[in-house]
Amino acid sequence: MQFAPTALSPAEEALRAEVREFLAAELPPDHRPALGFAGRHDPEFSRTLAERGWVGMAIPQEYGGHGRSAVDRFVVAEELLAAGAPIGAHFVADRQTAPALLHFGTEEQRRRFLPGIAAGEVYFSLGMSEPDSGSDLASVRTRATRVEGGWTVTGTKVWTSEAHRNHFFAVLCRTSPMEEGRKHAGLSQLVVDLSAPGVRISPIPYLDGSHHFNEVALEEVFVPDDMVLGELGSGWQQVTSELAYERSGPDRWLSTFPVLREWLRERPGVTDDEAAVLGRLAGRARAIRHLSLSVARALDAGAAPAVEAALVKEVGTRFEQDLVEALREAAGTELDQGSGSLFCSLLAEAVLTSPSYTLRGGTTEVLRSVAAKGLAA
Amino acid sequence: MSDDRQMLTEVATGLFRDLCTPEDVVAAEATGWSERLWDALAGSGFPTVSVPEAAGGSGGDVADACALLTVAGRFAAPVPLAETGLLAGWALAAAGLELPEGPLSVAVGRPGDTVRLTGRRLTARLSRVPWGGRSTRVVAVAESGGQRFVVSAPTAAATVTPGRNLAAEPRDTLVWDDVELPEDAVAPAPDGVDPAALRLRGALARSAQIAGALARVTELSVRYTGERQQFGRPIARFQAVQAHLVTIAEEAQLAGLAAQVAALNARPDPSFDDVAAAKAAAGEAATVAARAAHQAHGAIGMTKEYELGQLTRRLWSWRDEFGGERCWSRELGRRLAAEGADALWPRISTGLLA
Repeated sequence: MQFAPTALSPAEEALRAEVREFLAAELPPDHRPALGFAGRHDPEFSRTLAERGWVGMAIPQEYGGHGRSAVDRFVVAEELLAAGAPIGAHFVADRQTAPALLHFGTEEQRRRFLPGIAAGEVYFSLGMSEPDSGSDLASVRTRATRVEGGWTVTGTKVWTSEAHRNHFFAVLCRTSPMEEGRKHAGLSQLVVDLSAPGVRISPIPYLDGSHHFNEVALEEVFVPDDMVLGELGSGWQQVTSELAYERSGPDRWLSTFPVLREWLRERPGVTDDEAAVLGRLAGRARAIRHLSLSVARALDAGAAPAVEAALVKEVGTRFEQDLVEALREAAGTELDQGSGSLFCSLLAEAVLTSPSYTLRGGTTEVLRSVAAKGLAA
Repeated sequence: MSDDRQMLTEVATGLFRDLCTPEDVVAAEATGWSERLWDALAGSGFPTVSVPEAAGGSGGDVADACALLTVAGRFAAPVPLAETGLLAGWALAAAGLELPEGPLSVAVGRPGDTVRLTGRRLTARLSRVPWGGRSTRVVAVAESGGQRFVVSAPTAAATVTPGRNLAAEPRDTLVWDDVELPEDAVAPAPDGVDPAALRLRGALARSAQIAGALARVTELSVRYTGERQQFGRPIARFQAVQAHLVTIAEEAQLAGLAAQVAALNARPDPSFDDVAAAKAAAGEAATVAARAAHQAHGAIGMTKEYELGQLTRRLWSWRDEFGGERCWSRELGRRLAAEGADALWPRISTGLLA
């Protein structure tokens, strides 16, 4: 395992300055920061960002994207997240679906979806979890049956974030029956239009009462052959590599940073204890950032830092949660989402949503297994 | 890593592997150091890496010195490698003073320390001086007549009260009672050479040593849990044990990279934010990883002969030396708070400089 130190080049620093300037102009002074990549779904913001070329950065130009490096994406993502910009509409499609389409998709699929993703106009959800299938993805029961010209898909997906606002989701399902001892075989990914006949989306209220999660029931939904993503039967390998892409970016350690900034803004001065909390959190963020940036640089160099990425996600998401608790202790306040103090209100939101950070994109326990196997190798 | 630094690291690793085995480290505990190791290091010029050749050092930069210290930390080297060059040697060279032969140490203005200089007469009490009694000189900064001086105090003229850290490394108290210093022992301190700057370098040095020790703790833990069988399989197959391994590895990587960035950004002097973040990360990593490593090892880790304890006893000592986590976090927090909320992210996102 190797995390090499890396600096931003002058061009990367210039990009960062551009993004900072854009955000200062674009976000109103009284804007309530979104917490993390799923914090707020704002198609208008996504389109404006796309006009600047900061969506679909990893997508090649021939598909409407910008052919930029992983580090360029890192720079833009960290600025957006630190500012609490509302990137929830496009982020999953950009981070996760676009690379999957590029790696596994047909030419036709790339031409169909990638330009819309890069324009900040086409949004995807993830179709992996089911009522009886969480970390053990190979146990999914959603089933696709061969019909003329395609497949009919039946099953239920749950915890599907933003399915009620997004356009498509990539459904992991069984395209051939499970064989004894080969449970990872026979799974495929199908791109399903969330507005297709037979798709029923119902809210699963989030623990703070908001509408974020959905149950997506599929009843004999017709999916044409050309919407099979990648090889039939390779779904498991595809989604596990897809998980690797999404692991180690700034979205895994910056979700709660705006709470820290607003806390500092509301302090008239800091006591020794408060200074120690601030210094610890800032120092740790700095150290985690070195790791996360190092992985982005390694990706650009053509490496496959899967273990490193798992470690960054594990340590980063725990930091996001630690930050919340450290500030709660320091503030000594009672939590109220409706508080007139922006900090208190954000802190309350963070307490309610931060348990998801160590679940989404692979639980901490699963990541530890991935990382431990890599350490022993 | 630059090719030169890579080569330096490889040569040093070979030297430590030969002369600083776990048995050598145990043997050195009686006297607090290894003469044989020191002589070999001195013969290669390693202790004065980062001190300019013109000032009698071996040349190279702070990052070279820290790369060596990381190797030394990995081997639990019982010698004042950090103190001699990166700290004492730096202050002497900056003040235009001669770099004496032999190991050197340094005092960074610990609470309760006193240094009084009148002309060339020194009255001082310096506590917890690393290898103080073993050093030929102890370098300190003294105020006198409204001016600051670098003092290179001969240890032979001091009364030494031995002390030790948890790893039996000497941390001595030295007292000079109205001693006349030789002519080559005092010079005005240039700007930037003060106790705070020495402490910053000390914290950087310990961060690098901790990084090295943590890398070795990771290797030992992975190896042991892969070999040790219980319930019919290697204990590394148990998820609860895997969680310890991952904790150790991530803390080691986090602290290691923070220390590397701090060292690489020291051109020529370390930056406060880098070092404060690195030392706080190193201290936290030392605590968390040592606990997890002992838990993963079980009783064998609690024995003197097994290598783990040589490393963890150093981690438990080094995390507090030149300032502990809370101390560096507090000072970093004060500086960040003074600049206000909108400066926070730009300061955090300052990484390795191009």
